[in-house]
Amino acid sequence: MLLACMKSEQLKMRRSNIWIAFLILPIIPAIMGTKNYLNNLAILSSEWSSLWTQETLFYSNFFFAPLIAVCCSYLWRMENQNKNRHMLFTSPVPVRDIFLGKFVSIIKITIAVQLWIYLLYIVSGKLVHLPGFPSMQTFYYTLRGILGGMVIAALQLAFSMVIRSFAVPIVIAIIGSITGLVASNSCYGAYFPYSLMMLGMNANKTEDMLSGNGAVFFISSLFYLTLICLIAILILKRQDVNA
Amino acid sequence: MNKNSFVIQTTNLTKAYGKSGQTKDVVNKVNLAVPQGCIYGFLGPNGAGKSTTMKMLLGLIKPTGGEISILGTPFVSQGKTALNEKSRLTILKQTGSLIESPSYYGHLTGRENLEIICTLKNVPTKEISQVLSIVRMENQQDKKVGHYSLGMKQRLGLASALLGHPKLLLLDEPTNGLDPAGIQEMRELIRSLPENYHMTIMVSSHLLSEIDQMADYVGIINKGQLIFQDSLLRLHTHSKKQLRLRTGNNNRALCVLNENKINCTMDKDFLLFPETSDDETARLISALVQEGISVLRIEEYQKSLEDIFLSLTGKQVSL
Repeated sequence: MLLACMKSEQLKMRRSNIWIAFLILPIIPAIMGTKNYLNNLAILSSEWSSLWTQETLFYSNFFFAPLIAVCCSYLWRMENQNKNRHMLFTSPVPVRDIFLGKFVSIIKITIAVQLWIYLLYIVSGKLVHLPGFPSMQTFYYTLRGILGGMVIAALQLAFSMVIRSFAVPIVIAIIGSITGLVASNSCYGAYFPYSLMMLGMNANKTEDMLSGNGAVFFISSLFYLTLICLIAILILKRQDVNA
Repeated sequence: MNKNSFVIQTTNLTKAYGKSGQTKDVVNKVNLAVPQGCIYGFLGPNGAGKSTTMKMLLGLIKPTGGEISILGTPFVSQGKTALNEKSRLTILKQTGSLIESPSYYGHLTGRENLEIICTLKNVPTKEISQVLSIVRMENQQDKKVGHYSLGMKQRLGLASALLGHPKLLLLDEPTNGLDPAGIQEMRELIRSLPENYHMTIMVSSHLLSEIDQMADYVGIINKGQLIFQDSLLRLHTHSKKQLRLRTGNNNRALCVLNENKINCTMDKDFLLFPETSDDETARLISALVQEGISVLRIEEYQKSLEDIFLSLTGKQVSL
């Protein structure tokens, strides 16, 4: 049944132009990061690693959460319009799979965006004539960022499911990003959902923020993922469906 | 009638809103019994609880009390209002529905919308052409639904409800917002379904005339309570023709007629006679004339279904 839900979500995304946002928006932090890198070459002397700190600074601190929030709001807006919640919840599929089907779509987008930003990182590095290629460490950060990003994605999907406004969940994502930035620079970063992606990406840091602390990051991410999905599914099961 | 032959059966189905102490029963102890293979007209004024009841049958709204059994599967059992996910899915697999206005994704074509439903219902996509031909929408299938007229959207909604050959169809106000030609078409379409596809249909409306033209069985709901439930034929027996007579002295006329063993009742300024043959009419008139009672008015009077509905609900219906 989950497969059916995943396939139906795929069909719904047909002819939607939301991918343009995902293509264009990450270019902005990449440009900003590269510019910042070039302006501060005196301090930023570690080449690829330094460029990574600058690109991830803008991308994971200010762009990722609102971007994924837009996508979550879009996915639920389709259901909120034209009484589609009636159709969705009278389909013979478990309520659990309705939520998870959407979540899988968001995970796919998260992965695609992360790989896209990594590609942009390499392209911008080459454009500023950095020698060779970045270390595998940065790719590992990108993968960790996917896990942290999934936590934000789950949370935003749950917010957009409950809040029927398109913009309010995006505002929450912006506030989450700012507070996440503060939290990630404190010792509580690994316990705050919006910080996990920044920690995973090792945003704006040269040395690994998670060195010796990796287990906490993974456990915390998995804990939040499970908790958010469970709560969201429970809400869907308990609430009356109003289209 | 055998209990099992009811496709939908509810016992004291209730939905109350509001916090404890100040609850309002939107649906109050409704006992529906929808026989198999019929078109069950669910009639009631706006806000009577029709949609809420139908949404409870589909699991969209959780009842606060009572029991539901659909197609032999108990859905909500006594004391346990939480819906069982397994029975919910069993029922939904065999049910098609169109609740309030039709659901659709405006940026997709008609066919693509039906593909989504096929995927969710696990129905082969070749059924799409069948349902499109039933609702006569083959030529519009590749247009975006956002550009459809309301009538077309409504027909697409019916097409999606028909996917997977459901045994039960729940249609909530399916002719709402349609023009007279569209209403006529939709009505004929619905009428043809039980015979052609062996379906049971529950269709709600606030229009008595519509139910009168479509349904075999009627349930009338008012202020959350089911106030009538029987065959349409039975509802019509309430509207037999009567003879209405006004005389110069109704009281004396009544005595005279009673002496002559002519059955009649007094209703305001009139004397009412249940179905009377021509001979009987002639007899009662001559009896009155012989007694010197002047006959002022004599007319045949038929209580319309609207009158019956009005007397049952105490509320003017929109027609």
